[in-house]
Amino acid sequence: MNTVAAEWIKLRTLRSTWWVLGVGVLTALGLTALGASTVISRWDPGRTGEQAAMGIVVAVHVGVVLAQLPLGMLGTMSISGEYTSGMIHTTFVATPSRSRVLLAKASVLGGLAVAASLLIAIPGYLYGLTVASAFDPTLPPVEAWTVIGGGMLGIVTTTMLGLALGATFRNGVVATSVLVVVMVLVPFAGRMLPGGEVVNSILPGYPALQLVEQMPDIMPDAAAFAVLGFWAVVPLLVAILADQRVA
Amino acid sequence: MIEVIGLTRRFGRSAAVDDLSFTVNPGKITGFLGPNGAGKTTTLRIILGLDRPTTGRATVNGVPYRTLDRPLTHVGALLDASAVQGGRRADQHLQWLARTNGISFRGINGLLETVGLGDAGRRRVGGLSLGMKQRLGVAAALLGDPEVLLLDEPLNGLDPEGIRWMRGLLKSLAAEGRTVLVSSHLMHEMAVTADHLIVIGRGRLLADTEITQFVRPGMSLEDTFMRVIEESAP
Repeated sequence: MNTVAAEWIKLRTLRSTWWVLGVGVLTALGLTALGASTVISRWDPGRTGEQAAMGIVVAVHVGVVLAQLPLGMLGTMSISGEYTSGMIHTTFVATPSRSRVLLAKASVLGGLAVAASLLIAIPGYLYGLTVASAFDPTLPPVEAWTVIGGGMLGIVTTTMLGLALGATFRNGVVATSVLVVVMVLVPFAGRMLPGGEVVNSILPGYPALQLVEQMPDIMPDAAAFAVLGFWAVVPLLVAILADQRVA
Repeated sequence: MIEVIGLTRRFGRSAAVDDLSFTVNPGKITGFLGPNGAGKTTTLRIILGLDRPTTGRATVNGVPYRTLDRPLTHVGALLDASAVQGGRRADQHLQWLARTNGISFRGINGLLETVGLGDAGRRRVGGLSLGMKQRLGVAAALLGDPEVLLLDEPLNGLDPEGIRWMRGLLKSLAAEGRTVLVSSHLMHEMAVTADHLIVIGRGRLLADTEITQFVRPGMSLEDTFMRVIEESAP
């Protein structure tokens, strides 16, 4: 617990953390609000209250997925900044177990990613309810949990991947570039290339978009969750094992 | 007490540290001397568990550093004082470090006073001069009230007042019965500070002796050091 508490102090005492979170959450909220208003104004007047509630949940979780890149970069910076400054040595002198340090960072960042998703989802949902009040939205249907879970796991996965890349490459620019290639460039290009579906179904970008119903289903939802879970855990484990070997 | 036993660290084919053995005893200041590239920092890194030896071992109070519980309460280290993230305040830097080892925050303000940073505690580390960072690094090393101190070039960037302060601090820490290992290139300073010397060159032990026995008659510490290094060259 000491290590987790210390990593939380480290993260909260850097202004860049709050800038990244602020930019990520506010941009997502702003875009969600704009997008939700536009989408809702075009809804068929015959839409039921349950469909309206589902529509709001979807619109809000598009915002959550939009915030994943800033959070991923925060994950990267939380460790690459220590390597660049050399402070990582102080960290490892204080806590000789490198896996403990990395897992503590993962816990703190995972908590922040969940908090960020809630900071977007809850105000976004309340805003959507007021905009869509003419449809008398009910409580969201059961399928909404797929969207909520998909959005939340998506942002947590990207954050963990950012941390793992930062720990592996130890250089913020390199790690962030790889993160953007994996999360944005390849999924974007994959939509236009032959065989792109296969690539997209194993990378973490597409499954989150499928789960929040922004892309056609190319795999079962359970598979999409599994792929996201894989990318949240495996790169981090690889980073931990690689570190054990070096030192 | 620090024990280094048959320590070798190879990088590729060259040995940065070559079958090095020495003991650092409590209650005195031990100077750790050697030219650039002699293997001082590699040795300190291995003692602190930051690097693994190819063969041999290093222990602190009889055990490898990495097995110490709450290591900062046993060993305080100052490696590179400028290796700190600049965005944090000085007191916040000490807070996260204290938290890693479950050390109370209560001592932090007093410690900042002790190292002469009483007014700078709420300033961002990035805005501190090298000498002030050096003082912050000493505060970090003293955070856990450790019995063993390892200081790599602690005099870098200090002004004359700072150097005098550091000399007094090291002497008082040794007088309290702590083990104090200090590496430095400043021979004049070592001559008036250290009680014992460990001199290495090319990763090998060249001398492990009381300073009074090391310095040759009619020569300064600096002259003796240069002579010893020359004589060791192949």
